[in-house]
Amino acid sequence: MFLTIFCWVALICFFGASFYKAYKFAKMPMHGRQDLYPIPLETNERMHYGGSYYEDDKWYEKPRHHNLKGEIIDMLAEMLFIKKLFIHQNSLWWISYALHLGIYAALGWTVLLFIGAFVGPASVFGSIIYLLTIVAGIMAGVLMTVGAIGLILKRLIKPEFKNYTTPQEYFNLFFLLCVSASGLLVWLGDKSFEYGRNITRAMLGIKSFAESYPEGMPIILIVHILLLGAVMIYIPFTKMSHYVGKYFTFHKVIWDNEPNLPGSKIESEIIKQSKDPKPSNQWSAPHYQPQPASEEAVQK
Amino acid sequence: MINGKDLKPRDISTIGGQLTKIELMPLPAPFDKPGMAPELKEAKPEWAEKYCAELDGIIAIDTFETPKTKEEQDALVQKFLRGVEKMLSEETNKGIIQALNLSMEYCAKCNTCSEACHIFQATNHNELYRPTYRAEVLRMIVKKYFDKNGKLIPGGKKGVMVKFIGGDIDLNWETVARLGELSYRCNLCRRCAQVCPLALDNSYFAKEVRKIFSQEMGLAPKPLHDKGSQLQLKTGSSTGVTKAAFLDTIEFLDDDCEDLMGTRYVTPIDKEGADILLIHNAGEFMAWPENPTAFNILFNEAGLDWTLSSDLMGYDNVNYGIWYDDLQAKKVAIAQNEAAKKLGVKRIVIAECGHAHKAAAVVADRFYPGSDRVPVQSFLPLLRDLIMAGKFDLDPSRNDFPVVLHDPCNVVRQMGIVKPQRDILKAVMKDSKYYEMKDHGVNNYCCGGGSGFAIMSAMNFASYRDNVASRMKLKQILEAWGEDVVLSEGPKYICAPCSNCKGAMREIIHNYGLSRYNIHYGGLVELVVNAMTKFDTPYMEFLRDE
Repeated sequence: MFLTIFCWVALICFFGASFYKAYKFAKMPMHGRQDLYPIPLETNERMHYGGSYYEDDKWYEKPRHHNLKGEIIDMLAEMLFIKKLFIHQNSLWWISYALHLGIYAALGWTVLLFIGAFVGPASVFGSIIYLLTIVAGIMAGVLMTVGAIGLILKRLIKPEFKNYTTPQEYFNLFFLLCVSASGLLVWLGDKSFEYGRNITRAMLGIKSFAESYPEGMPIILIVHILLLGAVMIYIPFTKMSHYVGKYFTFHKVIWDNEPNLPGSKIESEIIKQSKDPKPSNQWSAPHYQPQPASEEAVQK
Repeated sequence: MINGKDLKPRDISTIGGQLTKIELMPLPAPFDKPGMAPELKEAKPEWAEKYCAELDGIIAIDTFETPKTKEEQDALVQKFLRGVEKMLSEETNKGIIQALNLSMEYCAKCNTCSEACHIFQATNHNELYRPTYRAEVLRMIVKKYFDKNGKLIPGGKKGVMVKFIGGDIDLNWETVARLGELSYRCNLCRRCAQVCPLALDNSYFAKEVRKIFSQEMGLAPKPLHDKGSQLQLKTGSSTGVTKAAFLDTIEFLDDDCEDLMGTRYVTPIDKEGADILLIHNAGEFMAWPENPTAFNILFNEAGLDWTLSSDLMGYDNVNYGIWYDDLQAKKVAIAQNEAAKKLGVKRIVIAECGHAHKAAAVVADRFYPGSDRVPVQSFLPLLRDLIMAGKFDLDPSRNDFPVVLHDPCNVVRQMGIVKPQRDILKAVMKDSKYYEMKDHGVNNYCCGGGSGFAIMSAMNFASYRDNVASRMKLKQILEAWGEDVVLSEGPKYICAPCSNCKGAMREIIHNYGLSRYNIHYGGLVELVVNAMTKFDTPYMEFLRDE
C-alpha cells in the first residue's frame, strides 16, 4: 500500500510542482523586449536568415505575420532533438541526447504501461502496446544509463566542465543513473516489463502489489520504485526542470518580438503595470534619489 | 597570477594581486609575423594603485577607486549585496526579472556559448572570459548569500549544503571589484545567447552587474554616465553640442556639401508635421560629417518630407543607458519621443547607429503605452525602397573597390534587419567587389566597440578594446578579403553602418596600421551617394585623393 501511495505522490508532485513552477514564471511581470534573431514566428523567408518585420518601411502599418507553423516546428526541433546543441556542439549532443532520448522513452514507457494495465497482449492492439512497451523500456534504461555515465565522465574529465560543475549537478546525474541502472537490473529478471504493468495496475487499483507478488516483491524492484518516485519528486525543484523553463526562455523571452502598438495587448499590460506602486526598495545611487516633480513620472 | 586555462570561478576571490594575464589569439596574414600586431598596454603603477587592475590589468571603470581601509572594503561588499538583492527583486527589477531568473536557474553549463564568444576566442580561451564565468560567480554569490525569495542572509549561508548547491565562494572586496571590471569585458552582443540550447543569455549577468554598480553604487565609466547619458540629458547630446552649436554645424555641413558636390541641399530643421524625423548619432556631425550629409542628399533627392530636430534630445539618437543603467535609458528614450511628438512628425527614422536602433525601437518599446509613442523605424528599409523605386540614378561601377560589410549586432541579431542593407549594396556596386565575412547577418561578430567600448578610452581600456574585443572583427575582415586583396594597392572599404562600429573600425585601422594597406572605413549611405551619376566628384575622400 505504501508503494502504491508513494507512486501516486511522486506522480502528483512531479506534475503539480512543474505546473506550479510554470505558473510562477508566467505570473512574473512582463519584461522589456529581448528579441534575438532568427525568430521562427517571422515569415518563412525571414525566419531562415533572421529577418523581422523591421525590414519593412512603415512596419507599424503592415499586418503582423505570425508564423505559428514555423514556431511549432522550431520548438519541436529544440524540444525533441536539442537542435542548437546538435549544430553548435555536436560532440556533446550525442551524450546529452542519449540521456534526453532515454527520458523521453521513459515517459512514453509510462504511458504505455498505463494502457497495458488495461489491455492484455492477446489482441492486435494489445500486442503492439506490449511490444512497444518493451522497446521503450529498453531504450529508456540503456540510453539514460549511457547518457548519464557519459555526462558524468565528461564533467569529471574535461576541465572546462569540471570547473563549473557543482556537487549537486553531479548528484543529479548520479541520481538519474541510479534510476536507470536499477531499472535495467529489474528488467534482467523481467524481460517483458511486467513489473511496470504491475505498478500501474496497483496505482489504478486493478491489482495490488501484494496480489501481483504473493511471494513478496524483489528488493531491487522496491529500490527501483523508490528511486524512480524520488527522482520524480526531486526534478521539479532542480534545474532539471528546464522542460518548464525552456518554454519561457524561447517563447516568452527571445522569440517575443510583439510590438507595443496602440490598442495592443502589450499596451494594455504596460498601462496596467504603470499603475503598480513604486518599488519600496529603490536603487540607492544619487541619480535615483528624489528629483523635481517633473522627473518623477519617468522614475516610475 | 593564475594561468587563464586553470582559472576557476571561485578564484575570483583570490586576495590581492592581478588575477590573470591576457594572451592573444593569433591573427591571419599579414599579422601572423612577429612584431606585426601591437601588444596590450599594461596599467601604469599609479593607475593600478588607485583603480581596480586586480582582474586582468585592464581598467574600465574610471570612477571606481578601490577601497583602502577595512571599513571601506566591508562597505563595498555590503553595498554590492544590497544591489544584488534589488537585482533579484521582482518589484525593483521587474523589467528583466523573468528573463534573468530563467538564466540564473537553468544553465546546464554545457559551454556551447563559449565558442560563440569573440572575447573568449580572442583571449585564447582564457577561462575568465568564458561567457559562463561571470554568470557562475554571480550565481554562487546568490546561492550563498540569498534565500530562495531573493532576500539577503547577513553573513551568508553556512554548512555543507551551501557547497553542495554551488555556493562555494567567499565574498570579499576583491570579488566585487573584479566582478565590476569583468562586467566591462563583455560587449553584450548576445551571440552566446543565440547558440544556447536553453535560450539563456549570459549578457544579462554582465549588464546586471553594470546596473548594480551604476544604480546602487553610483559607479559607471565616465564616458557612459557623466560624459554620456548625464551630459545628454543636460545639454541634449552626449557630445555636449548645444542647440546653437548644432544649428551652426548643420549650416556648415550644407555649405561644405555645396562646395564639394556643386549642389546645395538644405537640411530641413524643426519642420512641424513632417513625415519623418531623422535622428543621427550626434557623433556623426563631429567625426563623420559625410554621413549626415549623405542622408541630406539622398532624402532631398528622393523628395521626402523630412526634418531634423534642434530640440533638446531631438538631435542625438544615442542612448548609453541601455548598456548600464535602466533609469538613464528610460529618461533618454522618453525625452527623444517627446521631441518627436513636439514636432508632430509621423515617424522617427533612426540613421546609421546600431545601438540607437535597438534603444529606440526595441528597448524603449515597452517603456510607455504605444498610443504615446511616435513609431520608430530604421533608415534601411526606407532607403532600400527608395532605391528599388528608382529614385536615384546609380552606377554600380563607381564603387569599383572591394567592400566588406560589417553587420552591427543591434541591427541584425537584435532587430532582425539583415536583407535591406544587402539589397542596397547590390544596387550600388558590382557583386564581384562585394565581400561577406564568414559569419555574417545574425551570426556576425561584434566589432569590439559594442556596449560602450567604442567610447571608453580611459587609462589602458582602449588597448583592451582594440587588441581583444576587436580582434575577431579584424580577423574576419582579413579573412573575408584574403591576403591578396589586403595587400593589393587599390583602396578597400569596410562598410559599417553604425556610429559605434565605425568608431571601433577607426581604432582597428589606427591600432593595426591598416592605412598602409589602403584600407578605409565608413557608412552605407556614402556608398549610395558615391554611386549617383548626378555627381562628377567622388563622394568619398579617399577616392578624391586618388
